[in-house]
Amino acid sequence: MDTIGSLFHGFAVALTPGNLLAVLLGSIIGTVIGVLPGLGPTASIALLLPVTIGMDMVPALIMLAGIYYGAMYGGSTTSILVNIPGEAASVVTCIDGYQMAKDGRAGAALGMSAFGSFVGGTVSVVAVMLISPFLAETALKFGAPEMFSLLFFAFTCIGGLTGKSRGRGLLMACVGLLLGTIGTDDIQGVDRFVFGTLYLRDGIGLVPLAMGLFGMGEILYNIEKRAEAGSALETPTSLLPTLQDWKYSIWPMLRGSALGFGIGVLPGGMPAVASLLSYAVEKRVSKRPEAFGHGAIEAVAGPETANNAATAGGFVPLLTLGIPTNSVLALMLAAMMLHGVTPGPLLLLKWPDVFWGVIASMYIGNAMLLVLNLPMIGLFVQILKVPYQILSPLIIMFVLLGAYALNNSTVDVLATILFGIAGYLMKRFNIEPAPLVLAFVLGPMLENNLSKALIMARGDALPFFFGRPISATLLTLAILVLLYPLVRAGWRWAATGRLAQR
Amino acid sequence: MTVDRILGVGAILTAIPVAAAAWGFGVGTPKSPGAGFWPLLVVAAMAGLGVWLIVHPSREGVAAAVPESRWGRLWIALGTMAFYAAALNSLGFPLATVLLLLVQLRCVEGRPWRSSAWIAVLATLVSFVLFRVLLKVPLPVGVISLPKGW
Repeated sequence: MDTIGSLFHGFAVALTPGNLLAVLLGSIIGTVIGVLPGLGPTASIALLLPVTIGMDMVPALIMLAGIYYGAMYGGSTTSILVNIPGEAASVVTCIDGYQMAKDGRAGAALGMSAFGSFVGGTVSVVAVMLISPFLAETALKFGAPEMFSLLFFAFTCIGGLTGKSRGRGLLMACVGLLLGTIGTDDIQGVDRFVFGTLYLRDGIGLVPLAMGLFGMGEILYNIEKRAEAGSALETPTSLLPTLQDWKYSIWPMLRGSALGFGIGVLPGGMPAVASLLSYAVEKRVSKRPEAFGHGAIEAVAGPETANNAATAGGFVPLLTLGIPTNSVLALMLAAMMLHGVTPGPLLLLKWPDVFWGVIASMYIGNAMLLVLNLPMIGLFVQILKVPYQILSPLIIMFVLLGAYALNNSTVDVLATILFGIAGYLMKRFNIEPAPLVLAFVLGPMLENNLSKALIMARGDALPFFFGRPISATLLTLAILVLLYPLVRAGWRWAATGRLAQR
Repeated sequence: MTVDRILGVGAILTAIPVAAAAWGFGVGTPKSPGAGFWPLLVVAAMAGLGVWLIVHPSREGVAAAVPESRWGRLWIALGTMAFYAAALNSLGFPLATVLLLLVQLRCVEGRPWRSSAWIAVLATLVSFVLFRVLLKVPLPVGVISLPKGW
């Protein structure tokens, strides 16, 4: 059967009433857990896994996939409205999305985020369908050295998120890397910086860190700043993006789709890495880089598209090779195996209903999410009309509740408060928290892959890294990004010298 | 003293004990890196950036001091949150959350008592039903008793 014929077969599977209901349920549950702080897709899929055992195989998988990409849609909502990233992938969205909300443009930001997610998700599903087998083979060539080089390249792009002071931002990135080392070391099994506590053995949680630094820090800063109680956010003026917004966003969306899909296919390629790289690329190619950090809509469109594209991209290695590239997809693999399906090269032959049914359901799910989310924008922006004196305590409650819901532990609540104090101080001293959080996410993967690569290199690290084409290309790109400010300063210095001579 | 210089000094002061601890974990060799290798690499970069910030600080000074009147609200907000973390298990989610919201709304945000009270009760009830009843998050109930099935 050719691809188009198979896709039609997939639609025939996905459009049955039971499967349509599964797509709808998955999309709605995913959006809700994406919006609610603390409940990530990993925890939700883990909770729902036993429920799906009683279901038929295809609707069960369709629903779980819907939860995953639905969560990516929902994650941006709280980032934009109240500066609380629902997911690690939405951290970057906080920077310009929340700024837009402050300027009364929350509707445009939410709208563009929904459209971007739809474009990223749909382009990525087309790519999954057309080039899965080829990409899966290429992705297998990504060993530890290539992965380290990619992550190192992503890390160098954090320089683009550092706000006014590059030095301060990079220092915060180092703090993020250091916080990422807390807990039991993956390779040697040594406890590091745990101070004898059981809680720190598992490392610091991303949710308390991100919600504390962003959401709680913002709330505490506003409590201090407002002499009289009043609104910290402008009342939204428009609900949808303007034509100019579309002009700014269309290319970032297309680039974000390609970049996100490419990252998603790689082992360990997280949506958070995709959104970070997209932000860095857009800032680099933008005609108005000075607008980034001050409410640039393309800084919302690109990363939101990229993280959804990466979500769908992750299904390539899962479906074609049986390799989950992150914890959510590992749970999807578990769900498939519970139903007696072994993902891998034979999936297409043995269970075409599963492969094509899931692919077709993703098309339907993306369209459904857009239809569900666009009318919701009006409802979501109503939240901003609630007086800030009422909104602020409610946000505090949801942040603390989200922190507790993670592990049913009050230590997570306390950790969120402590990171909130740190976030408040950072806000007060104009220090951008995004580099810290993203370095915290990338750090453990960077360390893990560096250690593995060094062991593989057997003492000849440089020839080893630069002797592998993919790794050499990525490291060269990283070096160019690092050297770019120096080269630019040199050019300016030379130009000033020439002017002085004239 | 500028913010950058304070951060620079802080980074160097942090780097020293962290480097010592990392050394204790075992640095290993380039062929076989130990558990302390990566933290040592990170604090070396951190100390380097610290020195750079001290030598090339931006001109921005430390932000103006917070007026005493506003400190009060900040302390009340933080104090209530700390109390919430400490009392959540013993008092239970409903009671602890009503108290948290009541103090935040009345003492921090200056809302009237009556509206503070009904917002606190309503928000607690909605979030309790959403998380505990619908999403099955095992929120502690503490001192109150619940109907069967909740």
